[in-house]
Amino acid sequence: MKRPANKFGIMVLAAAAVIAVLLSVMSYFSVSAAVLPNLAGIIASPFRSASAAISGYVSGWTEYLTEFDALKEENGQLKMKIAEMEESVRQAEADRDENVRLRELAGLREQRRDLHFESARILVQDASNWSSMLTVNKGTAHDVEVGDCVVTEAGCLVGVVTKAGSNWSTVRTVLDSETSIGALVFRSGATAVAQGDFALMSEGRLALNYLGTEPDVVSGDLVVTSGLAGYYPSQLVIGYVEEIRASDNGLAQYAVLRPEAELAGLTQVFIVTSFDITD
Amino acid sequence: MLPKSYVVFKWTVYALASLLLFALQSLLLSHIRVMGVTPFLYPILPAAAAMYEGSRRGPLFALALGVVCDLLLPGPFQGFFAISFTLIALFSAMMAENFIEPGFLCALIVSAGGLLLTGGLRMLVQILTGGEYLGLMGRIALQETLLTLPAAVVVFPLYRVIHRRCAVDY
Repeated sequence: MKRPANKFGIMVLAAAAVIAVLLSVMSYFSVSAAVLPNLAGIIASPFRSASAAISGYVSGWTEYLTEFDALKEENGQLKMKIAEMEESVRQAEADRDENVRLRELAGLREQRRDLHFESARILVQDASNWSSMLTVNKGTAHDVEVGDCVVTEAGCLVGVVTKAGSNWSTVRTVLDSETSIGALVFRSGATAVAQGDFALMSEGRLALNYLGTEPDVVSGDLVVTSGLAGYYPSQLVIGYVEEIRASDNGLAQYAVLRPEAELAGLTQVFIVTSFDITD
Repeated sequence: MLPKSYVVFKWTVYALASLLLFALQSLLLSHIRVMGVTPFLYPILPAAAAMYEGSRRGPLFALALGVVCDLLLPGPFQGFFAISFTLIALFSAMMAENFIEPGFLCALIVSAGGLLLTGGLRMLVQILTGGEYLGLMGRIALQETLLTLPAAVVVFPLYRVIHRRCAVDY
């Protein structure tokens, strides 16, 4: 019978620990992705692209075969929604003209919202049950930086870039338990912090914390990024309030948010590489 | 002493088989979701390799596999997979060499052990960083293990074929 833990095994384990320390040090001292992860990402890119293409093709066919009736019904609902939105647009145009006239009258600066996007394709949706990350096919070569916001084509927040390689980036989604973004309740103007929560992540939800003692938040409220401190752009849609809950200690309340971006079926996103907003 | 080319050939085949299993995870398993949990195949790979290759070559392969995963996958800290996969391989080799004859039962035990070890290490990291929801994490680790175990029937036969063919034919 051999000894359960031999000397060689301990040496390999020590080597693993040294590698872990080296990777951590490299990661700590590099602004974007460190050399080795960057190289690994570049090598893996074609495989990830191929995998994403096959996956997209298969799920496209599956959707075509299984969701025809649901799509037909959704199409009818969307047509009604478009009609309602067209009415809103007409009203908004009149309001905008009035707003311009009033601003001129009051001598206020024009509000400006200038976002620069880089479109990207999702290569990998993180397979683990412990975090919620995406890998996209754009990186530092396309002016993508750590901290850039990632949105859908409708401007709904998907997440934030946490690592940027040459031609790939890792995005931490709004659901991940380490996500923390300044938020604003659109109706009341109340500020809060949208945070990922491990317990809510598996339900596809996130929490809206730091609501204050008497929170002015109700179910159905739209929550957007606050843009305070200028770190992230303002007015990006995070999601809608689903319910208000009391925290475990009963001293504070938090809201459960349903993200507006549907992360499960997402294939294309837009990275906000730079922004200039004047309020 | 084995010829160098034999060693290179054998581990290249192991690497290619692992690549195939990576594809299985990303193309199929990551799309399966049962009660909010997805199967996670990777910890079974070092367990299977070490069961067949023993306590010297198994942990080395596991270390290499762990480093690749650390470079490509998000983990609780850099080097998480290198450490956890090496531990899994040491556990697997110890079981196969000392306690249970390599076979179906051994494969089941080392796979479950590997998956629970990975989940346990994640929980340990959470405890050390002041995380909450340990009960929930334990439930997810258990669910993940139960959901992934059936996939072991793909990994072990594949690695066994490589282990046997490379030993006989080359």
